[in-house]
Amino acid sequence: MMKGIGRLILVLAVICAGAAFALSLVFAVTKEPIAYQKKLEVIRSLQAVLPGLAIDPDRDFIDVPREEGEALRIFRSPSDDGIAGVAFEVIAPDGYSGNIYIMMGVFPDGTLGGIEILSHAETPGLGSLITEEEWKSIFKGRSLANTNFKVKKDGGDIDQITGATISPRAIAGAVEKGLRWFEANRDTVLAAGEGA
Amino acid sequence: MSGYGHEFNKGIWLENPVFKMALGLCPALAVTNSVINGVAMGLASTFVLVCSNTVVATLRNVIPSKVRIPSFIIVIASFVTIVDLTMNAYAHQMHKTLGLFIPLIVVNCLILGRSEAFASRHPILRSIVDGLGMGVGFTLALAVIGAAREILGNGTLLGYHVMGSDYTDMLVMILPPGAFLAMGVLLGIFNAIDRVRS
Repeated sequence: MMKGIGRLILVLAVICAGAAFALSLVFAVTKEPIAYQKKLEVIRSLQAVLPGLAIDPDRDFIDVPREEGEALRIFRSPSDDGIAGVAFEVIAPDGYSGNIYIMMGVFPDGTLGGIEILSHAETPGLGSLITEEEWKSIFKGRSLANTNFKVKKDGGDIDQITGATISPRAIAGAVEKGLRWFEANRDTVLAAGEGA
Repeated sequence: MSGYGHEFNKGIWLENPVFKMALGLCPALAVTNSVINGVAMGLASTFVLVCSNTVVATLRNVIPSKVRIPSFIIVIASFVTIVDLTMNAYAHQMHKTLGLFIPLIVVNCLILGRSEAFASRHPILRSIVDGLGMGVGFTLALAVIGAAREILGNGTLLGYHVMGSDYTDMLVMILPPGAFLAMGVLLGIFNAIDRVRS
């Protein structure tokens, strides 16, 4: 009887060991490319929201603590006289389905360089139109001073999308909140100092 | 006993995993909102299917029947993780699109089903052919469902517009309910073809 159980354990252990070995090999090989892809993704979104500005996501950032939640990572584009622009992530929790993750770029004077949708689960074909360049680009150059961050249906300045009002409304709200946060924490965000 | 040709062909029509055996319906319904997504999921599943069939057939005389299910699952889960990591590294965009459904290949009963019902009882080469046939059949099924949903729901096929500018997209087809509609109608069509042929 014991002998039988011993064999079962042995076979399972050997199979697990083989699987672990194979997986560690694959992990070792794919680790670098995966990290590179992730970095590429960040770089792409930074370029989309702060066109023309150079940012090294490994170096040019500071983590700013917030009243609630964890610290917010602010990517900052360095220039000769301070900071040329910053980019950070905001979350719109009130989308049609699930959170919408948004990267927004802001210039030091408080105008938007642009927004990029990092991930969302909105309805394909309707809410998902928020990822279209045409819609995202309407945020360029807007600021709290020149824009009422509500969709037109709610009396604001942001175009909604036919058949999808909730997603644009959620994004406009999140971007406005992001801008207000930026204004309130401007000194910390733009303060000199090394990030990493 | 017929030859390898039968072992391969049966997966494509006679025992098609999706349309005949109704196996692996979770990915078949969840990711088939376009042809390309369906094909990518099909290929990932085919890879896992062939690899796990190979290993299971190799070890079929070593694994005691009492622990065969956990053994098969470990083998399958390992290959799924390999696919997951590899796609993340070299097909990042597709990996993002298929997302959660890649790790979920582990619980695709088609794969465990082939290990249990075929690979654990047949020699290696025959099991590989079986895995290939089933995988190709699965991929074709997903491509067909994906094509139907993409054409009706988005007016495109492989991203190209095919329905003309007058066509109003039937949005429901690329939403989750559309998967059930497409699946049901296609199943009916294939059953009807079978009935006519026999």
